[in-house]
Amino acid sequence: MIGLFGTLNLAASALQAQMTGVEVSGQNLANVNTTGYSRQSVNITTSSDIDTADGQEGTGVQATIQQAVSSLLNSQIQNQNSVSGYWAGQQSALQGAQDGLNEYLNSSSSSSSSSSSGTSENSTGLATQLSGLFDAFQGVATSPTSTSARQTLVSQGQSLATMFNQVSAQLSSLNTSLNTTVSQGVTSANQLLTNIAGLNKQISTAQFSGGSTDDLNDEREQDLENLGTLANFTTSTDANGSVNVSIGGQSLITGDQVDDTLQSYSGTNGNQYVETVTGGVPLTLTGGSIQGTIDARDGTLATLQSGMDNLAGTLISQVNSIYSSGYSTTGSTGANFFNGTTAGSISVNSALTNNPSLVQASGSATASGDNSVALQLANLASTNETALGGQTFTASYTQTVGAMGDDLQTANNQVTSQASVSQMLATQRSSVSGVSVDEEMTNLMSFQKAYEASSELVQTVEAMMETTIQMKTG
Amino acid sequence: MRVTDAAFNNTLINQLNGLTSQQYNLQNQVTTGMRIQSASDDPAAMEDTLNDQANVAAQTQFSSNITTLQDRAGSIYNVLESLQSVTSQAGEITTSAGSGTQTTADLQTSASQVNSLLNQVVSLANTKDPTTGQYLFGGTASGQAPYTVTKDASGDITGVTYQGNSSVNQTEISAGVNVTVDIPGSNTSGTGVRGLFTDSQSGADLMNHLIALRNDLSSGNTATVTSTDSNNIQDDENNVTYQVANNGVVQTHLDTAATLASNNSTSLNTMISNSSSANMVQTMVQLTSAQNAYQAALESGVKVMQLSILNYIS
Repeated sequence: MIGLFGTLNLAASALQAQMTGVEVSGQNLANVNTTGYSRQSVNITTSSDIDTADGQEGTGVQATIQQAVSSLLNSQIQNQNSVSGYWAGQQSALQGAQDGLNEYLNSSSSSSSSSSSGTSENSTGLATQLSGLFDAFQGVATSPTSTSARQTLVSQGQSLATMFNQVSAQLSSLNTSLNTTVSQGVTSANQLLTNIAGLNKQISTAQFSGGSTDDLNDEREQDLENLGTLANFTTSTDANGSVNVSIGGQSLITGDQVDDTLQSYSGTNGNQYVETVTGGVPLTLTGGSIQGTIDARDGTLATLQSGMDNLAGTLISQVNSIYSSGYSTTGSTGANFFNGTTAGSISVNSALTNNPSLVQASGSATASGDNSVALQLANLASTNETALGGQTFTASYTQTVGAMGDDLQTANNQVTSQASVSQMLATQRSSVSGVSVDEEMTNLMSFQKAYEASSELVQTVEAMMETTIQMKTG
Repeated sequence: MRVTDAAFNNTLINQLNGLTSQQYNLQNQVTTGMRIQSASDDPAAMEDTLNDQANVAAQTQFSSNITTLQDRAGSIYNVLESLQSVTSQAGEITTSAGSGTQTTADLQTSASQVNSLLNQVVSLANTKDPTTGQYLFGGTASGQAPYTVTKDASGDITGVTYQGNSSVNQTEISAGVNVTVDIPGSNTSGTGVRGLFTDSQSGADLMNHLIALRNDLSSGNTATVTSTDSNNIQDDENNVTYQVANNGVVQTHLDTAATLASNNSTSLNTMISNSSSANMVQTMVQLTSAQNAYQAALESGVKVMQLSILNYIS
């Protein structure tokens, strides 16, 4: 028999345990919308029995707080984040490339029902300008001495050159901003690494002193998941609760120490790459938005830029080699139609701007009405160029556009499907670690009822004690 | 599976976002009438569309080339008609003069008729294209008048000089198909496009033959008119007839090419439409179904979210 005082202690332990339950429900309810919060639960167990003359008797209840965490799901989410991050990096870079190319279809006619007649779509980019140039050569070939045909040719040439310049400028500005994205990604990753090392320290200290590490764990998990979005990494967990982090095989965090950090460096092509600061080891990652950005920049964007330069360069050399042999209506010869060598530098010979009669369309110094050079230039539209992989100018360009579109479409599809995977993992984790209001309210009521009941016990024992005392005095 | 409030909310938000983005795309397709607008929408269709568009632009340019050439061929035909009349009149004069019934005065009248025909021919030879202002019969040296004349004291033409060349321009009227509508005034090379007034293949030399005929008529040399001039004028007439026939062939060719270019444009536009235009019926049905799904998600989501145990705790 544990007696009145024993029973009073028992009631006190019950009140404490139920109070802990109420507190935990309160904490869970308070964090119902907190990102990364892992639900806590109260594990209520009976206190150890004691042997009495009447046999074993209970001494009440004790409560411990547990965090509902699935480390498997956490690590899956970290990995999934680097896959999602990789494709998001690609998507954002390639979307920029598509914008830079500015090749969109516009519907110019409002009659959307007519499907068989009338042009209803126009493109906004180089394709129109390119075919416009060859058509303008045709125009001059048809009316070789017409000033207006020559003016059309010169202004069409200028539009094409300007469009090449714009695309080239857009793509190189995109390249610059992607390099900035890489550097910024590295800065963010370093910040997260520092945070993680700091949290490792707090967690190991708290664990040593027996304190709660639940909220610190949640915070560190958030940082690790954010780091996963930037770069893929591997982890190992120490006995003291610290998480060690390696990126690309390089150990960056051991316990509470930051072994090494990341920095961006300029490669031989002037683009930004990632290496470790102390070790100076260049890192080739397989996931995360930093690598996604690098891959899109060095892959699709670089191909696009060199494709544009090759297209412009071939156009300049092919047009000029025919054009320079021609004669203008004033008998002049040997000049070039285009100046420059790349998409960025292409321009129309400025002498033509002021004087279209200088266009060298004739094949003979004495026959100003001859069109043979203009006709040869117009025929370039259907000439398969060796420098363009045996394709015509237009076909080569549209293939470049198509290849870029393929890459962006792949990135878009990947982003969508990876989002589904992330969503599924998030739902699974939420099923383990998330807070349910219904559940917490039910728990709250049951703790409250138990608390009320235990307080009744205290009152009963108190009344019994009173009775006991009055037995003597009465 | 244990479903928590946050999981429910996140899933609902994702579903609503997905449906909103679907509606956005479909609505955009309905408004623009286009299924694809950028390369990433459908790279292969975009590639086809851009190639087809370049092809449509080329067909449009061919049509414009053909119109220019049809105008020029028409102008040339007008000159040819006049020349036919000139050569036929000259031929009649040679016949009358050779009949031996004409008096000296008659022959003088005929000579002055021929002189007037000669002036008419020189003037026709220097005809300009009304649209471009270029000389029609100077070959590719069309910047200057093809014919200059020398006259005697009384103002009669005694000789002509051709300042043009025997080259003609080729113009593309459909992919890889070139035509020539131009006729050089003179071609004494024996190859290439026959000259209109002077041509070594046909023996035509209209102006000089008219000068000789006039001179023979005015000197009363009817024997030469019959033996030489008559045949020469016949050669000239034959050459003009040949040129008329040729012009007719070219014009027919141009008409056919114009129809071809227009048909090509139509079929290319159909192809563009097939690869890039939205199927209105299908798109509207898809939009309606996306709207229904959106509405259902909203209604059911709100209903579920409104209910919790809190509604039943007093």
